[in-house]
Amino acid sequence: MFGGLHSPRPLPHEGALLALARDFTPRVEVVAPTAVLLDLHGLGRLWPTPEELGRALVAAAAARAIKAQVALAFSRAVALVLARARPGLTIVPAGGEREALAPLPLALLGLAPEREELLRRWGLRTIGELARLSAKGLAERFGHEGPRLVRLARGEDDGVLVRAPLPERFELTLELDWPVDGLEPLAFLLARVLEPLCAALVGRGRKAAALAIELGLVDGTTHARRLAPASPSGEARTWRTLVLLDLEAHPPRDAIARLTARAEPTAARPAQFSLLDPALPSPERLAETMARLVAWTADGRGGAPQLVDTHRPGAFVVGSFAPGALPVAAPGPEPASRFALRAFRPPRLARVTLQAGQPAFVSAPGVRGSVAACAGPWRASGDWWDVAWSRDEWDVALASGGVYRLFRDRLREAWFVEGELD
Amino acid sequence: MAIAALHEPLPDDPPALLADEDPASKKQALEELLRARRLQRDAPPLRGGDRRLSPIGTGLAAVDALLGGGFPRGQLSEVHGPASSGRTGLLVSLLARVTRGGALAALVDPLDCLDPASAAAAGADLSRLLWLRGPRCAAEEPTAQTLVAAAAAVATLAGSGLFDLVALDVAGTERARRALPGATWVRLQRLVEGTPTALLLVGEAHVACGPGGALLALEPLGPRWSGLPGPARLLASLATRAHAGRHAVRSAELALGALA
Repeated sequence: MFGGLHSPRPLPHEGALLALARDFTPRVEVVAPTAVLLDLHGLGRLWPTPEELGRALVAAAAARAIKAQVALAFSRAVALVLARARPGLTIVPAGGEREALAPLPLALLGLAPEREELLRRWGLRTIGELARLSAKGLAERFGHEGPRLVRLARGEDDGVLVRAPLPERFELTLELDWPVDGLEPLAFLLARVLEPLCAALVGRGRKAAALAIELGLVDGTTHARRLAPASPSGEARTWRTLVLLDLEAHPPRDAIARLTARAEPTAARPAQFSLLDPALPSPERLAETMARLVAWTADGRGGAPQLVDTHRPGAFVVGSFAPGALPVAAPGPEPASRFALRAFRPPRLARVTLQAGQPAFVSAPGVRGSVAACAGPWRASGDWWDVAWSRDEWDVALASGGVYRLFRDRLREAWFVEGELD
Repeated sequence: MAIAALHEPLPDDPPALLADEDPASKKQALEELLRARRLQRDAPPLRGGDRRLSPIGTGLAAVDALLGGGFPRGQLSEVHGPASSGRTGLLVSLLARVTRGGALAALVDPLDCLDPASAAAAGADLSRLLWLRGPRCAAEEPTAQTLVAAAAAVATLAGSGLFDLVALDVAGTERARRALPGATWVRLQRLVEGTPTALLLVGEAHVACGPGGALLALEPLGPRWSGLPGPARLLASLATRAHAGRHAVRSAELALGALA
């Protein structure tokens, strides 16, 4: 037996009708936002008669503040049309489908407007009148759609029920008989939760983009953590390592009585390897390594440096380390070997003695000596519209050894050692 | 074979070769492609290839000749020298060489000394460089705890097997270094053995070097200036002498050019 549920009024929330139907059976087809079809086969032990089942559906709808029209029939088409047509509960006995549909208007069949208009011009007003037409004659005029219309009007089903997929919820909870304290015993328990969770993800072609861990503590509170590595993973071992590393950094304040893991699924995209390009690092191993280095990267001081589009000296930002594919470029010439600036951060405040307008002696923390040779000054300035800077730069070689870059901050009237040229 | 020849583009257009109908010529074309690809010394080996066999070149022909090709993988190597001896220039050149070829490099920098602009000017692909900076501090030297944490980070990076080069810059950390356990460097050497990672220490004086590692001592020869003293004068290069090996029996002179 099939059931049709239709709500003529707006629903309390989207999906309310589907949730109501799923309370009775998992085999539900969503026909429209306000109409669903239920496959009610096998419910006879709970509700022995169709009347009891129908009343249960009506009562459940009322309990959810849904004004539902319910129809039960042995044909899906009949159940759906009657649910749309008649208020309250309608039950069609086996064999009575055609009679039940006959007096109803054609509009309830949900035909295309031009087709319905054409039938109306032929003088057809009810479904029963359409059912009485010859299928062969209609096929000559409408093609293969003609016999289908006749079967529909007679209450005969075409096709199969298209089941709405169940919502994907990847969550597992483990209630512990005895509370556990410490990460070592928790590691075993995590494996018991994460392995089936990851197996379920992989079985559906998914990976977890993020994992939420909720630890119910003995003191009644919940210790919640959410991990979102740069790359999704479906490996239980990787997630277990990431969770343990995170809990090492953020330990729960009491013993653990309940463990819940909830994965946020995402489509698993298989990697396409190249024969000739270098292999990218394994995302799981990279995520694991970065999690172990969280003390260095947490405050944004560790990662991949990026230059900023500005002339301000020493401007850069540190972004997350996520190396991508190597850009396709022709091998260029080998860059010339250069010395580099060994930066002092922040620049060291210096006392500089000038002779004939040039630095003659430099004194700063870790840098002290008379100047043997120098080059400069080079004046640079910028960002006058924001945080302005203006400076005169000098490269100086000290008699005691070492070549340094100095600058005089023209706005603060002070000398600084920017770094060592090395 | 000249270095320049190793960077020539692939001999033929791959799609044209692979479109050939004859299976024998298709096989030959693929073999030629693979051979050409293997000859690119910058590029990391193909999937499944053994990276442990090839040392990592610095890109400085004189230094590579001294070291027998570059810094060996699976070993703790060391570059040391006083101020302005070219240690940082050599390190940056090495980082550029590794990242330009598509491999990953990591620099643990407790004193936060790296200048990303210098690294980019040397040709480094900054997106493939993991830079771990020490905590910001006003003191000239990092604390002993920072150096201990830096050694632990190096161990994590070397153990991951993801990086072709892991460098630890310990220049300017003499006092803090004394607080490190004596076995730190031995432990790092053991950790990196058998991996495709080259571990490099950069310091002011000799600290540690693995039994099969390369030891390079740099001796500054002073700056070279262009032009007469005056406003038009420029710092042209830093001259340095590199000594390789524990007894510094082989040496070569280098000139590191100015920043762009």
